[in-house]
Amino acid sequence: MKLHLKVWRQNGPHEEGKLVPYQVEANPHMSFLEMMDVLNEQLIKAGEDPVEFDHDCREGICGSCNMVINGVPHGPLKGTATCQLHMRHYKDGDTVVVEPWRAEAFPVIRDLVVDRAAFDRIIAAGGYVSVDTGSAPDANAIPIEKNKAEMAFDYATCIGCGACVAACPNASASLFTASKIAHLSLLPQGNAERKTRVLRMVEQMEKEGFGDCSNHGACEAACPKEIPIDAIAIMRREYVKAALS
Amino acid sequence: MSDTILNAHIPDGPLEGKWQNYLDTCKLVNPNNKRKHTILVVGTGLAGASAAASLAELGYNVKAFCIQDSARRAHSIAAQGGINAAKNYHDDGDSVWRLFYDTVKGGDYRAREANVYRLAQISNNIIDQCVAQGVPFAREYGGLLSNRSFGGAQVSRTFYARGQTGQQLLLGAYQALEKMVDAGKVEMLPRQEMLDLVVVDGKARGIITRNLVTGEYERHVGDAVLLCTGGYGNVFYLSTNAKNSNVTAAWRCYKRGAFFANPCYTQIHPTCIPVSGDYQSKLTLMSESLRNDGRVWVPKSGDDKRPPAQIPEADRDYYLERKYPSFGNLVPRDVASRNAKSVVDEGRGVGETGVAVYLDFADAINRLGKDTIEARYGNLFDMYMRITGENPYEVPMRIYPAVHYTMGGLWVDYNLMSTVPGLFVLGEANFSDHGANRLGASALMQGLSDGYFVISHTLGNYIANNSFPEVNESNEAFAAVENDASSRINKLLAIKGEKTVLEFHRELGKIMWDKVGMSRNKEGLQSAIQEIQKLRSEFWQNLRVPGEPNSYNKNLEFAGRVADFLELGELMAIDALKREESCGGHFREEYQTEEGEALRNDDEFSYVAAWAHSGDDSSPNLHKEPLEFDRVKLTQRSYK
Amino acid sequence: MESQSRVTTALTSQVGRKILTGVTGVLLVFFVIGHLLGNLQLLDPDPNLFNSYGKKLHDFGLLLYIVEVALALLILIHAVIGISIFAKKLKARKGGYKGVGVKEGGMGKQSLASRTMIITGVVLLIFLVVHILQFRFGPAADMMIDGEKALDLHGLVMSTFANIWWVLFYVGVMLLIGFHLRHGIWSMLQSLGMMKPRWSKGIHGAALVIGLLLAVGFLLLPVIIYLRQA
Repeated sequence: MKLHLKVWRQNGPHEEGKLVPYQVEANPHMSFLEMMDVLNEQLIKAGEDPVEFDHDCREGICGSCNMVINGVPHGPLKGTATCQLHMRHYKDGDTVVVEPWRAEAFPVIRDLVVDRAAFDRIIAAGGYVSVDTGSAPDANAIPIEKNKAEMAFDYATCIGCGACVAACPNASASLFTASKIAHLSLLPQGNAERKTRVLRMVEQMEKEGFGDCSNHGACEAACPKEIPIDAIAIMRREYVKAALS
Repeated sequence: MSDTILNAHIPDGPLEGKWQNYLDTCKLVNPNNKRKHTILVVGTGLAGASAAASLAELGYNVKAFCIQDSARRAHSIAAQGGINAAKNYHDDGDSVWRLFYDTVKGGDYRAREANVYRLAQISNNIIDQCVAQGVPFAREYGGLLSNRSFGGAQVSRTFYARGQTGQQLLLGAYQALEKMVDAGKVEMLPRQEMLDLVVVDGKARGIITRNLVTGEYERHVGDAVLLCTGGYGNVFYLSTNAKNSNVTAAWRCYKRGAFFANPCYTQIHPTCIPVSGDYQSKLTLMSESLRNDGRVWVPKSGDDKRPPAQIPEADRDYYLERKYPSFGNLVPRDVASRNAKSVVDEGRGVGETGVAVYLDFADAINRLGKDTIEARYGNLFDMYMRITGENPYEVPMRIYPAVHYTMGGLWVDYNLMSTVPGLFVLGEANFSDHGANRLGASALMQGLSDGYFVISHTLGNYIANNSFPEVNESNEAFAAVENDASSRINKLLAIKGEKTVLEFHRELGKIMWDKVGMSRNKEGLQSAIQEIQKLRSEFWQNLRVPGEPNSYNKNLEFAGRVADFLELGELMAIDALKREESCGGHFREEYQTEEGEALRNDDEFSYVAAWAHSGDDSSPNLHKEPLEFDRVKLTQRSYK
Repeated sequence: MESQSRVTTALTSQVGRKILTGVTGVLLVFFVIGHLLGNLQLLDPDPNLFNSYGKKLHDFGLLLYIVEVALALLILIHAVIGISIFAKKLKARKGGYKGVGVKEGGMGKQSLASRTMIITGVVLLIFLVVHILQFRFGPAADMMIDGEKALDLHGLVMSTFANIWWVLFYVGVMLLIGFHLRHGIWSMLQSLGMMKPRWSKGIHGAALVIGLLLAVGFLLLPVIIYLRQA
């Protein structure tokens, strides 16, 4: 199948970028990134610079890939990262526009590559349980209700890709931040630090320049792990509890 | 060739007491002195992140490096199935001894006994540590931890978090790392690639990195370097490894004097989604845990092209259950992979390409219900569906083996120190614990054992026993090594040939898969060596790398990595040629039993082959570490 | 002192702001419901019914002023935070998406309502000023109820809504209120962290119904009054 691509090209963080049209021959079994590989081989052969994009595991778990495809972060398939989107969802002659995540807190490095270090700093502000190596009690010392553990897991599956920010009309990082808070607040291990955790992480999220949450729910729709915005409700409850005590 | 006997510095005493003996007698570093030492940790997977966090907690200053945009993206994140530990929570007869024994046996008696025993001892602490970090392991209704069984074991000792165990463990370690970043004890440097090792006065004292955003070279000084850079499976081009996984850091250390051990031991994972075309960039693994409930089969006749559902039981060959009645579908990975290859070679493969076998869940769904299967493997089934467009609840999965893990790596002693003093190697990057074949759910265990619980003691011992004269970035050794690194990069850009990095990588991968892959023979290995040499010389004459050195340039990064793979591939073939026996993941067609099983030669090859670089134009030198088994009796592995 | 600054920090944080928006929103919704119920008395043919209701309210004297100031504060807080969230949003993604057909608005619980909160909000704020000037401080004639002096608010409303333009204006604004509440009711519950995973869908649907009911209730008033007089 022949595809008409329009891909964001930008040489550096401070340079102007633009959408550049390309044509590429794809095959339905290819993944989206493999289609981009084909484009890049084509460009290199033609003496042009290939399109830079982040990718690594290509199986939907590392969270590296980040393309806004025809206006939707990670493309049209629900619960799927860009790398797991296959070309069988497109047809001959389709026009496909590819852009990077857009947020001031995620500055473009080059082409489709953005800097997501803000997420690391949010985790560093409290997204952990402070347990030094070697000091842990026996793993079965504290039984945890199966349902609670499962729920915590649902929030813990966040891959830190940033699609939530990309999808949010306000470029808010609430779903990312809330997922970690929700995961740890549901487990007894996370209990001791729950107050400082939520206060500090929320503060850091704001410092990084992400926008406010307006409950649009675009984040949960874009999330490749389908993490629900109930996480954000949990974060707010945790926040109120922490602020009032 | 010299034949130095390598000393692994294994502590004295009976096997069970060696580690305790080490802990009781190793030298310690005073807490106030720890902060005077900077440790460079390269790679932030399970081994790197856990080591960086633990060392920082102890008080060392840590600089941690990764090539991705965040420490959390390291490829450990993709491990699916689980992590072994000898907790024996189910009283099914497990013990430290059994975990140790299964691991040594699974590795086909080519691992170092003392290291494996230590690993089995530490396994339990890992689970405690991870649970305390908030890792949401699977649980029973009573609230206690749940286990499942994995290949090569007859007990249920695998702890898991759905099909995302690696992700949850890595996030635990990553969070511990970020905690120490917050505490100011770790400086995290993402998007940095280690290009070389700086050795000053015989000790590893620093590294040269390239800032992958700006292209600038950076010099980093430390008192020890921890290499936690993973495996080199991408030498095969197609593997289950992440695209950024590479051998470069380890390879440059090899060239600076670290020995490379058992490079030919590669693990071919039996349950991957088969290749569908040339454009394919990587292979996707389906966790081995699927073999708990899935049954592997092919039609009895190669001419049988009916859709799977229409093939009656009588015309199916459940070949693993037939050949290995006691382990059935749960035989170790190497055995499962080789058997898949042999039925495909017989012309009984399935699917469009004929290069696949069925993994069928119909029986399990009938027995347990779709809901149970969905709860156990839902995310794996979804992934399969996304990639292939087929629904495995209705039609059997098609699977085929793919390169997954490399047991070989830089040689380390009991302290995890390489032959370059001060250069420690952890996790998949070292060679030590899995012998010639790794059992499922043991990689996570080893990475975290090395990082959380071993290195903190052995590094302390090294620091306490050595003096560290002041070295800074302007030292001439740093200037010289940086110059080597930058001229290499410039050389790659200057070729301006016709073929892309991807094309070279694909060609190398084909040679490796065909001749240094699942089964090997003398002739094939010899021709592989020649073909690789030829390809390498073409690479340096006809490569085209676009773009500039001083900007984000992924093609340039990959070019450097493929250049190293082109050298490593040859060493793997040399090692495979030298090892005239079959063991674990190394199967030499000349050496097999009448039934087609791997035939070891313990008299001649019960050693670790550690290769030393001797210059770019001369053959590497082989050094041997004899493997001595005090407690385990070497037998022909049998899973019948 | 320290705890005071902690509370201030908490209230002005991203989560705090959203919670304040939610709390003020809830109170305003209650007010709106009360206001509607009171106003339905306008439909009674006896003008005295509504006027005596108005008189009762006025008789609260100081208390009425306090309530009015409190309401004004609620509206102010709600509006200021809403506008500041909008301003921050503009800063958080300065350039916006460049692609053709970018439909970041098409996903999740987004709707035209959720995307236009700032517009409907600002229009409502302007409307409030008009509305208060028109009826709270408007030219209502004096009248007597049971021998006591009162304002003929009923008459003021009747004469206002005899004008088709005012009727259209009010109908338009009431539709906007419905729109604002369509997202607002769902959003305030989510903001206050009241959501349980299972409720989410139901509440999102309920918000549509409540928003619709309030809007229809309000816009019926001017329409019916106009039709009766026409």
